[in-house]
Amino acid sequence: MEDKVLFKKIERLRKKGLGSCLATIVKTQGSTPRDVGAKMLVTVNSEFYGSIGGGCGEKQVFSAALRCLLVSKQPELVNVDLTDDLGIKGGDVCGGKIQVFVEPFFPAEKQT
Amino acid sequence: MDIISRVNDLLEAADDFCLATVISSVNEKLPLGSKSIILDNGSLENGCGIKDLDDLISGFGQQVLEKKKKQMVEVKEGITIFFDIIGRQANLIICGAGHIGVPLAKFAVSLGFVVTVIDDRPDFANPDRFDHCNVIANDFIETLQSINIDKSSYVVLITRGHEHDKDCLAQVLPCETAYVGMIGSRRRIRLVLEQLSQEGFSDERLHGVFSPIGIPIGAETPEEIALAIAAELVTVRRLGAERTRSLRNAILT
Repeated sequence: MEDKVLFKKIERLRKKGLGSCLATIVKTQGSTPRDVGAKMLVTVNSEFYGSIGGGCGEKQVFSAALRCLLVSKQPELVNVDLTDDLGIKGGDVCGGKIQVFVEPFFPAEKQT
Repeated sequence: MDIISRVNDLLEAADDFCLATVISSVNEKLPLGSKSIILDNGSLENGCGIKDLDDLISGFGQQVLEKKKKQMVEVKEGITIFFDIIGRQANLIICGAGHIGVPLAKFAVSLGFVVTVIDDRPDFANPDRFDHCNVIANDFIETLQSINIDKSSYVVLITRGHEHDKDCLAQVLPCETAYVGMIGSRRRIRLVLEQLSQEGFSDERLHGVFSPIGIPIGAETPEEIALAIAAELVTVRRLGAERTRSLRNAILT
């Protein structure tokens, strides 16, 4: 999904009074499904748009995004390791590592 | 102004810009997630107000835009910033709403292109045939003159006749575009290009036209040809025109 669509979505959700969390790959190491700059947007109702690579790694980032949106309310740098398995445990088979920055966007009145 | 609104405003303009986000910081003035924008001309928006840091960020932002490489940088001890490149959404202009146009538009929409379809036959340029596309039933040349064509535009010429393709090509060639591709057999393409060369178009520009169109995957049906064209659009978008040509040549030899 294009960056433009995601940024528009953040703004549209905000206008409706809804928060969302943007996850962006900021660094990759080894073989990874998506490159630096790939983004996924997670909403407060657990909807998501775009992809940072799918699989268990994405699930991990999805959880982190919800955590920072609902619990910590703070941005966070998340390390995801895709090297610890060969897909045997239902994990990712790409074999690299990614660093993902997750940052919440809240509607104006909730901003500190 | 809110930074996300500003990003969305800038996305309507043609030039790429750099969005710098603080992803780790020991400085209170630069909290996690704070963002600034660096434009192509080097100007910085929404800086933190500390001149040294703003200059540093603006410098890195410009480098990133020049090299077209998104990356995170530790700009100063304890301060790491992710420099993202945000660009205008790629737009595809399909001249010709026939058998190939329909599947091509479908592929392109799902690949994230904003798609415009043009044909002078209203039965073909019918919005019911093209979901999520801007469909224009009007004269090709008149339409090409009136719509916005820029460096984020991909133009595919698949009209019903070579005369139309040639006229459309002559209209598009002077514009700065990301991609121009034209359908046709080698012989007919050569004739069109020769004609345009005689009309004064530079060989450099004419050689830049992707023709025969599409990555050579042995496509035969309209859907297969559309897939070959879509694959070519993706290759140009991700790897650039030069590497796309090498790929085509490698397959053909």
